[in-house]
Amino acid sequence: MNRVQNTKLILWLIAGLAAAVGVTRFIFGLGATTNLTDATPWGLWIGFDVMAGVALAGGGFVITAIFYIMKREEFHPLVKPAVLTAFLGYIAVVFGLMFDLGLPWNIWHMIIFWNPHSPLFEVGWCVMLYTTVLLLEFSPVPLEEFSRYAKIRAFLMRFRFPLVLLGIMLSTLHQSSLGSLFLIMPFKLHPLWYSEILPVLFFISAAALGLMMVSFESLVSHWLYRRKPETHLVAKLGKAAVWVLGIYLAVKMAELVWSGEFGLIFAGTWESYLFIAELMISVIIPIIIFSIPRTRNSAAGQWAGSALVVFGMIFNRINVGGLTMLRATGDTYVPSWTEIIISLGVVSAAALAFLFAIEKFHIWEQRPRHPETDKHAGASFDHTSEVWLGEPVVSARTKYSLAFIMSFALGFALLPGHKLESKGIETVVVEKARGGDTLYIDGNHDGYGVLFNHAAHIDTTRGRESCVSCHHMNKPLDRETGCWECHRAMYTATDMFGHDRHGSAQGAGLACGECHTPGLERQRSTAKQCDACHLDLIPPGSPIIADGYLAPAYVDILHQQCITCHREQAALQADKPDLALCATCHETVPPEYLQAAVWDNPRAAEFNRVVLPGPVEQTGADDE
Amino acid sequence: MDGFLAFAQGPLFRFCFLIMVLGLARILLLDLYGAYEAYRRAGDKVLPWPLIARRTLQWFVPVNRVFRNRPLYSILSIAFHVGLLLVPLFLFAHVQLWQKAVGVSWPTLPKAVADWLTAGTIVFAFALFVGRLFSRPSSFLSRKQDYLWPLLLSVPFVTGFLCTNVGLAPGTYRTIMLIHILAAELVFVLIPFTKIAHCVLLPLSQFISTLAWKFPAETDDAVGTTLNKKGAPV
Repeated sequence: MNRVQNTKLILWLIAGLAAAVGVTRFIFGLGATTNLTDATPWGLWIGFDVMAGVALAGGGFVITAIFYIMKREEFHPLVKPAVLTAFLGYIAVVFGLMFDLGLPWNIWHMIIFWNPHSPLFEVGWCVMLYTTVLLLEFSPVPLEEFSRYAKIRAFLMRFRFPLVLLGIMLSTLHQSSLGSLFLIMPFKLHPLWYSEILPVLFFISAAALGLMMVSFESLVSHWLYRRKPETHLVAKLGKAAVWVLGIYLAVKMAELVWSGEFGLIFAGTWESYLFIAELMISVIIPIIIFSIPRTRNSAAGQWAGSALVVFGMIFNRINVGGLTMLRATGDTYVPSWTEIIISLGVVSAAALAFLFAIEKFHIWEQRPRHPETDKHAGASFDHTSEVWLGEPVVSARTKYSLAFIMSFALGFALLPGHKLESKGIETVVVEKARGGDTLYIDGNHDGYGVLFNHAAHIDTTRGRESCVSCHHMNKPLDRETGCWECHRAMYTATDMFGHDRHGSAQGAGLACGECHTPGLERQRSTAKQCDACHLDLIPPGSPIIADGYLAPAYVDILHQQCITCHREQAALQADKPDLALCATCHETVPPEYLQAAVWDNPRAAEFNRVVLPGPVEQTGADDE
Repeated sequence: MDGFLAFAQGPLFRFCFLIMVLGLARILLLDLYGAYEAYRRAGDKVLPWPLIARRTLQWFVPVNRVFRNRPLYSILSIAFHVGLLLVPLFLFAHVQLWQKAVGVSWPTLPKAVADWLTAGTIVFAFALFVGRLFSRPSSFLSRKQDYLWPLLLSVPFVTGFLCTNVGLAPGTYRTIMLIHILAAELVFVLIPFTKIAHCVLLPLSQFISTLAWKFPAETDDAVGTTLNKKGAPV
């Protein structure tokens, strides 16, 4: 029975990693855990967890329709597993969606605030109702274990048929509406996938996938518990899938011919190869496999056929859900490992719940021999520690919980530390002012700056004191240090001290005690002041004394420095009333030597965040 | 060196710290669940709760039975625990690290107190080690880990003391700081899997041992029947 235990161990390991990433996602947000951008806001989580997840859970409505509506009694062994798969699948979809929603705590909004024009509104309601229906459909199975709930169970059993009907109706609605969602993106989605009948295609493919998912799940679970596979049933489902897949292929091809996009399949673009690959995997090869009786009834054929449809249709949902939009957006998106782990983790959690239910409840006609309560197995010693970990059920608990916490800790350790801290405002490194007597100040390098007549600002009557009124601090061994040397970031404060450099062997190589007074806590307030060592730091007569080691943002200090003085001077000099106006310094006309580079460059607008207006009459009406 | 330091302070710290926290939570839950199962299996559901509570609390009060039997050992052990718990949790520099990393801070110990507690912990750890080495009753009960633990626990304290109180050259400082961090991380990883887990399991020990030794009500009769002495007092 090691097969089940090893599988569970792997599932717990993945779940542990995913839990660490999940916690990080909810604390630090999508930016820290995904490669999603504004151009590609829907990635793996929507494509796989939601779009493919809903389709994968389609087995529930397909099998109940076959059994209850078409009265095909021979499929009875598949009904309970199919309903369970669907129920867990929908829980997984809702759970997976929570990771992708930017404001997950607002998920209840659609219940109260109706937006009947939105396909997502309909999908949301259907998923919510259908999950409830599935819960009611499935709950008689666990209730069977508790005799005191017999009445509730009997009550639910009476309503089984209406519930099944309701489930099929709701599935029909939202399986197709997930396709309607993409009707809004005719220019974003590649024409090979975009179609006006996308809802129909989504529904047919969900039905095909439902058949194959139930087959795949039956094959995998019987292999896990070393039971005889349900070959005859899977073969029958395969035969049905040939028809559904055939209809899907025919409708899809007809639509492509109708819309005149058939030729795109052979256009030789990467999308055309993607389309051919998807169609081969999800439709054509499975049709061939399940059409030939020999392969249809063989284990290898059934495994291959059902796995191909499952993976091919997941592939299809990911393609529609975002991959084939990259051409239109021009973005590059590769899911980060954290996104992949979350998706795998949701699947692992659902699989663990499935195995739990299989072992605890009456889902199969004959329950599996419980791998963890085999009383006759005797004491088996752990290979590594040579310790008896207790009876099987206790040792399993010990091992799985250890696996979970180990991989949780590993997952959290693997997350890049810098992603765990908010970056805040992105640092824009200041470009130093250029020029000679006249300086061009354009800190953020957007081609929209200030011409500063340095020579005109020197007050020759005051000598060096004039320099000091702006150049208020010097770097060691420097005089008249430029603004940008300390105020190094455009919009954020920068560290002008460099603690580590003072201690490192490459820098000053100082021991802690040389600045921090021994015997006191090592903190800023008890450390030596900068000018205790750097005697030339602050020139005599400097009007601004730095307090602390952070230099304020470049844009802030230049505004403060210039505007304060300009206002004073505007009040003093009656002949220069415009001195304190913004436009006095921020000229709309760039300097002549820049005009050619900016206006005559056809690509200038792409680079410059501020698009320069053409030469205009100066009005001077602005305040300040 | 800086790379090692950054690794030890970043990913490795996160890993080891989480192993400690989650590992302790794990054994606590596993033990509680195991106790619950044992409780459910025990036919007699009457447990001497007041007695269990009293005995559990007795272990938290420094003056107990061990104190009367081996007073020196008890005093050393209690004194060792004071610094061991207070210094790592309430050292100014450690709280600063938490403040920087997650934005949470709490009151700290004055430097002089922290220094004396650190020095005390080192001395008491050594004394406990020597005591175990030379006490015959202890040596019968001791395993390898019992000798190693006081030594391992004193490593972060010695290195921490050196870093805060001795004027070291930057290179030496970093090396010793790296040893400090790595030793503490080794302690973190080992805590949930060794006897140090008593930091969370202590409140359960009396409850679980009472539960384990609690015979069902009909035990007297069953034993008597087995021994062919039905009705005789066991």
